[in-house]
Parts: sequence; structure tokens; C-alpha cells
Amino acid sequence: MSAEATDPNGREELRRKFEAYAQTRDQAIRDVLVTAHMGLAEYLARRFTNRGEPLDDLMQVASLGLLKAVDRFDPERGLEFSTYATPTIVGELKRHFRDKGWAVRVPRRVQELHLRLGAVVSQLTQDLGRSPTIPEIAQSATVSEEEVVEAIEAGQAYRFTSLDASGSGEDESSLADQLGNEDQGLIDSEHRVALSPLIARCPPRERMILHLRFFEGLTQSEIANRLGISQMHVSRLLARSLAQLREASTEEDQP
Amino acid sequence: MSDGEVRLAVPAQPGYLRMTRLLAAGVASRVGFTLDEVDDLRIAIDELCFALVGPGGRDGTITVRYTFIDGGLVVEGEGHFADGGHDTPLLSPLSMQILGAVADECTLEPGIEGPTFRLVKRRREE
Repeated sequence: MSAEATDPNGREELRRKFEAYAQTRDQAIRDVLVTAHMGLAEYLARRFTNRGEPLDDLMQVASLGLLKAVDRFDPERGLEFSTYATPTIVGELKRHFRDKGWAVRVPRRVQELHLRLGAVVSQLTQDLGRSPTIPEIAQSATVSEEEVVEAIEAGQAYRFTSLDASGSGEDESSLADQLGNEDQGLIDSEHRVALSPLIARCPPRERMILHLRFFEGLTQSEIANRLGISQMHVSRLLARSLAQLREASTEEDQP
Repeated sequence: MSDGEVRLAVPAQPGYLRMTRLLAAGVASRVGFTLDEVDDLRIAIDELCFALVGPGGRDGTITVRYTFIDGGLVVEGEGHFADGGHDTPLLSPLSMQILGAVADECTLEPGIEGPTFRLVKRRREE
């Protein structure tokens, strides 16, 4: 399944790294361990792709599960890491589906078009040097404008039933480590905290996107470029964060 | 762009906000908005319509009117509620911050049958 199972030398090497990490909690070692097992996270994420969620979102969730597993794995107990990590990662993916389903039934062809448009939009943005219009996207993807409208709306079709999705403090530090210092500074803006303590409860990447869009005034394309993800992904993350903030503020208003 | 308008009336329930977003994207496409601007418009309309209907929905309908103007769109929403919607809360500071970032102009006011909003979104100059 993962590299360690087929390569005895690499396996021994990784075992030593796990032991070193358990003792030192050295972030550089953790990075190596996470990278070495990213294949496992991807393998498991792909098993959930027939449920209508984009693979990049699932990869994010699976990576979070992998980080948790690396942090909690005790090499002294003699278990294979993949044996230990699989239920943790699958659990994270299942929780994702439990918390965030498609709010409305999105037909498969629309989901597929939504995923395909991510690449089309990125290419057009690069070619045009600006965000494309819907007619431009339709022409490039050889579908109708109505289909494009329907497909981009599909990315907003998240529903939040639980605040649980905002994650624990533990997830925050794991993800925050992946962000650069400059961006870390941005998301700590006192401006934002004063306006909404709810934003502080969002995961770091969502928090940063909210900050860049609504406080710094960057466009979605600019944020996509800066973070190295697609505009469609930024759009989905924004829609999800806003739904989550709304859910949270509604719950806070309850007596 | 010639003058014209498109109207939509939906039950005042959160589940129908998707319709207002879908129509917003369709109408924005006609005005030549970029995908960034389309998304901004959808976020703005969603925020304002949600302010009208609230998390639990209301007894009544909301109407949304999209009017083409030179270089953009005006979107006006009205609540038509059995109870007049006089208890509709004001926009939160966070909502105002969000709307300030995605809309060019935006107001939300009480009305006779329910609160009303007006939103202006213009194309960015190239």
C-alpha cells in the first residue's frame, strides 16, 4: 500500500525517524514522515471520490488525518504505521462527509463539469491575465453558459450541520505549521479578531482566505495565485467558511 | 448594455437562497462580469437574502429584482412577510465587512411588509 511495505530498507529508516520524532518532536522529521506517507493519504482519499467531493478537498482532509496519525503514533508498540494511520485517516474522511454533505443533490455530470472547470479557469486566467467571464469559460470548455453557471454554483452546495468541522486546537497548530510566517502574521490581524471571534475558530487556511478577501481586498484569483491553488478552490473554501461562520453565529444567538 | 430587469420570487426559506445565487450568476454573465465578480455578487446576494429570511426562514416570500445598469447590476430584494419582519436583526459587523469587500454599494432597511435591500455591483475597469 505505502512505500514502507515494499521497501525493507526504507521501512527501517522510517522506523528510526518515527522513534526520533517521538523523542524530539522535531518538525523537520515530522515533515519527512508526512511526505513519506502522503501516498497512503492519497490512496484513502481516492476511495471517497465517488461521493461528489473534489479530490483536492479530500486530500486536504486526508492529510489532516495523516498529520494526526504521525503525531500520535507510538513506534514502541510495534504496529506498522500504515496499520495505525489508516483508521485515523478514514475516520477523518468519514467525519468530513458526516459534517459536510452536498446540501442539494448535485447530479454527477454537474459535479464532473465543476471539477473540469477548475483547470479551464486556471488556464484562462493565465492566458488572459485576469479572471475569465462566464462566456469565455463556456467557450473554452465547449459547454453552454447555463451549464457553467450550474457547475460553479455546485461548488457552493455545502451544508453545515455541525460546528465540529471547525476543528480542534490540535489541527490548527498542525496546519498553521504549513503556512509561512508572513501569512501567519496576516491571519493574526487584530482587526479581524475584533470583528469576529468566530473567524478565529476557522482552520488556518480558511482564516487566511477570509482575511485576504474581506479585509485585504484581494480578488479570488489573486488569492488563488498567492496560495498556489485554483480560483474554484478558493471559491469553494470561501463558500464553506461563510456557511460555517453563519452556522456558528446562529448558534451563538440561541438563548 | 440595454436597460432591463429580471425578477425572482421565492419562499422566504434558506433552502431557496440557492435560486437567488443561480440567477445572480446567470444575470451577471450577461453583464460580462468576470468569474471573480460573479462570485462576489453571489456572496453579496446570499448574505443579504439570508439577512432577510434568517436561519429558520419566515412565513412569506422574498422577491429579488436584478436591473442592468451601465457597467454593472443593481439588485433589490424585498421581504413580504406575514409579520412584517420588524424583528429582523441589523447586519452584523462581520456581514458589513464582507459586503463592503464584495459590493460597490449596499443598504438594508426596514420596509412595510418586510426589510428591503439594495446592492450595486459594477465591473472592474480593465
